[in-house]
Amino acid sequence: MEYTIQSIAPIFLAPVIAFIINAFFGRKLKSMSNWIAVAAIAFSFVYTLRIFTDFMGVFATDYYIHKTFTWFDLGPTFKLDLGVYLDNMAVIMLLMVTGVATLIHLFSTWYMKGDSREGRFFVFLPLFTSAMIGLVLSDNLLLLFVFWEIMGFCSYSLIGIYYEKEAAGNASLKAFMTTRIGDVIFLLGILALWHIVGSVTYVDIYGAIANGKFEGLTILGFSAAGFAAFTIFCGNIGKSAQFPIHVWLPDAMMGPTPGSALIHAATMVAAGVYLSLRIFPLLEMSGLLPFVAIIGGITAVGAATIALVQDDLKSVLAYSTISQLGYMVLGIGVGSYNAAFMHIITHAIFKACLFMCAGSIIHSIHEQFFNKLGGYKKKLPFTYIASLCCCLAIAGIPFFTGFVSKDRILGDALYNGFMSGNFGLVSIAALFGFIGAFLTPFYMFRWLFLIFHGTPKDQSLYDHCHKEHFSVGQNLPLLILSVFTLGLMFSGSPTGQGWLGHWFGGKTEWFKVLVDAPYSKNINKFTTYERQPLSFEDTREITTLEHAHYHHQSGYYGPNNENEHGIHSAHVWGAIMSIFIAFGGVFLAFLMYFRNSLNPSVFTNRFPRYYKVLQNKYSFDEFYIGVLVQKVLLGLNNVLAFFDMGVYDRIAIDGWAKVNKVIYKASNWFDSVIVDSVAVDGTATSVNVFNLILRIVQTGKIQMYFIVMLVTLVGYVMSLGL
Amino acid sequence: MISLSSYLIISTILFFIGIAVMITRKNIVAMLLGIELILNASALNFVAYSKYVTNNIDGHIFSLFIIVVAAAEAAVGLAIVIRFFQIKETIHIDEASQLKN
Repeated sequence: MEYTIQSIAPIFLAPVIAFIINAFFGRKLKSMSNWIAVAAIAFSFVYTLRIFTDFMGVFATDYYIHKTFTWFDLGPTFKLDLGVYLDNMAVIMLLMVTGVATLIHLFSTWYMKGDSREGRFFVFLPLFTSAMIGLVLSDNLLLLFVFWEIMGFCSYSLIGIYYEKEAAGNASLKAFMTTRIGDVIFLLGILALWHIVGSVTYVDIYGAIANGKFEGLTILGFSAAGFAAFTIFCGNIGKSAQFPIHVWLPDAMMGPTPGSALIHAATMVAAGVYLSLRIFPLLEMSGLLPFVAIIGGITAVGAATIALVQDDLKSVLAYSTISQLGYMVLGIGVGSYNAAFMHIITHAIFKACLFMCAGSIIHSIHEQFFNKLGGYKKKLPFTYIASLCCCLAIAGIPFFTGFVSKDRILGDALYNGFMSGNFGLVSIAALFGFIGAFLTPFYMFRWLFLIFHGTPKDQSLYDHCHKEHFSVGQNLPLLILSVFTLGLMFSGSPTGQGWLGHWFGGKTEWFKVLVDAPYSKNINKFTTYERQPLSFEDTREITTLEHAHYHHQSGYYGPNNENEHGIHSAHVWGAIMSIFIAFGGVFLAFLMYFRNSLNPSVFTNRFPRYYKVLQNKYSFDEFYIGVLVQKVLLGLNNVLAFFDMGVYDRIAIDGWAKVNKVIYKASNWFDSVIVDSVAVDGTATSVNVFNLILRIVQTGKIQMYFIVMLVTLVGYVMSLGL
Repeated sequence: MISLSSYLIISTILFFIGIAVMITRKNIVAMLLGIELILNASALNFVAYSKYVTNNIDGHIFSLFIIVVAAAEAAVGLAIVIRFFQIKETIHIDEASQLKN
């Protein structure tokens, strides 16, 4: 397949066109605009599928498309190329984004039907999707940042879509301002990279790392690579809601549920992790990976513990999202590039599905608190099936996707934390990962049991709920996504360990084979990557992989032949442990909320303080508002206010006023005396005087003039004569 | 034989009579008559010089022009005087003071 602008641009442009149509003509089109949005995203999906099938046909780790054009050129020192960079990872991401977005759009047509903000919702949804597509397509950090900010704006608009509610308005502001912290630092990182590399294109950055351009350079006393990696990773922390600025994501649930599904499960939050994957060589080289791992570990376990005690079904999903994002970051931190990326994809699928299940429940029952729910299995059978599949997936039960991806992250964490011999931050992070792996199935099955099983806690609500009949908008997206929660879609073996990898021609392990990590040992290949103008057709010869067998690519700590075995056994142990842990969590939830043989109040009564802490979500909001905002920032504010009002106003403004007053007086005197009296009046007076003289001769008597003329003439003639 | 100087003396006398009439008389019609005298004095000069100095008919033609101009001037002047009389009911020159102040 030849790649030109015609085969790539429509993927991005179709949602943009849908956005423009809906933004300007949405009112006239009414509900037609929904279907325009769905059709546009589906169109993008079909185009992406073409590219995906091509990439799958080639089946080579080093297959890539890199098309650039010059945005502007200010001489040899400042030339900015933008472009499209598609490698296997970008194509898989693109397929996930367009696919999940298509289903979410389809679901939204049902969910938002008759809603007062239906039109507005379908303006921002395509724009948001197009921004995410653009982010994945872009070949450099600057273009990525542009789309990143568009997504931030769309997220702000979608969270605050019911802007008449004060909570929604505050939540949208909070999300926008909190992510902004990370974004500003991220921009700093882009500038640092620009300064060092002279380009922000991924391939150029990799090439600079391979060529050792970073060695010996420092910025503000830090190593250049460390500075750039840390600042860009801060962008990830903000966008992917990592500890310590995760506080915006739970509040972001004020938006409509399909919006949450798209923004806070499938795309935007995944963009942060995607960014970290893109700068993975930088993180690896700067030695920042243990820090990344511990951030991920803290987030994974912290959010999971908060999710244990939430009594709002969307809130549980929100904290679960933060927790799963923590797993992805933990995966990056332990060098498990491929598994972290796989977790992005699998999580996007099952979490989007879970959010849509939540939407389906909320829209059918008009209630989202657990103390009113229960026993809805019979009323909402399709939603129940989808929820069950997703819960199994997120819990990490074998044969489902969550097991495949999360287990590989945990296996690498186990190896790097405990079995490779160097204990430290990574060991703690790995421990956190395993604790989180126990909590995840517990809170997800608590969620499932409290909604669908048991007896209805509010009988009248239960009776009012209509039995669910299959509808395309409500159920089809859920069921399609449920199919993709099966682990076999991503890995040929049920455990994700590649044990059955050589069956089915080896292509069943496509994910692990195709997504090749740019570890330091193979980063040199990027120096030979070439790029072409947008309109150029590809003529490169691509060598297809003949043996698509899977090696353990894990371990940034240098997998050589000696520790290959160690990694393998770590993964075996990791798999066994996570199976036990997952079933343990599910069993505990089963005892507490299904059989009711173990009352949860046993724990809440015994540890009331810890329960309180969890219910307060570790008091992050109170800390930020009470301490950070009211103490630190208020003090800073007072200092600045003093400077502003005391110093600046007094001295600069008032002083300037005094200076102006003197100048005013001087110029007033000059104006009234010199200009008015001397210049203006003086001119008038002098004219008057001359006038008095001149009007003596202007008698108006014509005969007088004749006399004057005669005398003049005679005098003239006489003077000539004499 | 009448010499050139005789013509010049006559025309000078006519010219000064015309000037005197223009300066002294307050009647507009009389002033117009004074102007006619001045024009005639100059016409006489042209004819005299034409005869005694250049010996061609340029001066004659010029004097004819002067007569035509004088007629036209008299017509326009009298028209102004008639309008002036209609407005002011007098032809005293000092009454023509509308432009004053």
